[in-house]
Amino acid sequence: MQADVLSRSLEALRPLLLKMARLQLRNDGWAEDAVSETMLAALESAASFAGNSQVKTWVIGILKHKIVDQLRRGGREVSVEAQMEAAGVDSLDELYEPGGHRLAAPLDWGDPEATLSRSQFFDVLQSCIENLPANMGRVFMMREWLEYETDQICKELGITPTNCFVMLHRARLRLRECLEMNWFATERGA
Amino acid sequence: MKHGWLVIACRHAHELLSQRMDQPLHTGDRLRLWLHLRICAACAKIERQMDFMRRAMRRLGG
Repeated sequence: MQADVLSRSLEALRPLLLKMARLQLRNDGWAEDAVSETMLAALESAASFAGNSQVKTWVIGILKHKIVDQLRRGGREVSVEAQMEAAGVDSLDELYEPGGHRLAAPLDWGDPEATLSRSQFFDVLQSCIENLPANMGRVFMMREWLEYETDQICKELGITPTNCFVMLHRARLRLRECLEMNWFATERGA
Repeated sequence: MKHGWLVIACRHAHELLSQRMDQPLHTGDRLRLWLHLRICAACAKIERQMDFMRRAMRRLGG
């Protein structure tokens, strides 16, 4: 692919790349760096881009690698923050009766494919992830977006497996509540 | 129903549903969760929602 064509595509993709990097890294400086490195790497390897996959998919793939590098470099800082946050994880008591039953019945979420075809749904998903506490969001994104194994996350962030599972579980339940309230219970999700 | 070795509360079932997404469950937990999901329609719904969230996350950002 020509560098001038690619640079126009990259320009157009930059807001998306930054949004994803911020969502994963929760640090604007790191996110800027990861995106700049991604654009540089893409331009440098423009000749090898076969063009049989979408530019967006290809560039997001590069971004994921750059984010992993950034997480490693920022590792110690993230790890200390993660430990502090894991020590004060919030309670899920408001979701359950003392006997362990859910207080509210979950809604029917309808046809998954229909939901996944709506771009507005992904806007809601993003804002729900943004609303998670920083490290809970980071751990969740590492697991579900970067597709790390749980033991890799523990190792990278220096948290115990138990804390890791607890944070992932809380993130999933919070996200479930948030999606239900802000999408499935509204007109848009109906 | 009273909770015991085999019969678990929804709260525990949700923990197992989540844990199962990160590592294989031990046989006892698999049994308890399997049984719970067959007698609790609300938790079976949450199981489908958890799967859906994973699919959505894999598509986030294109």
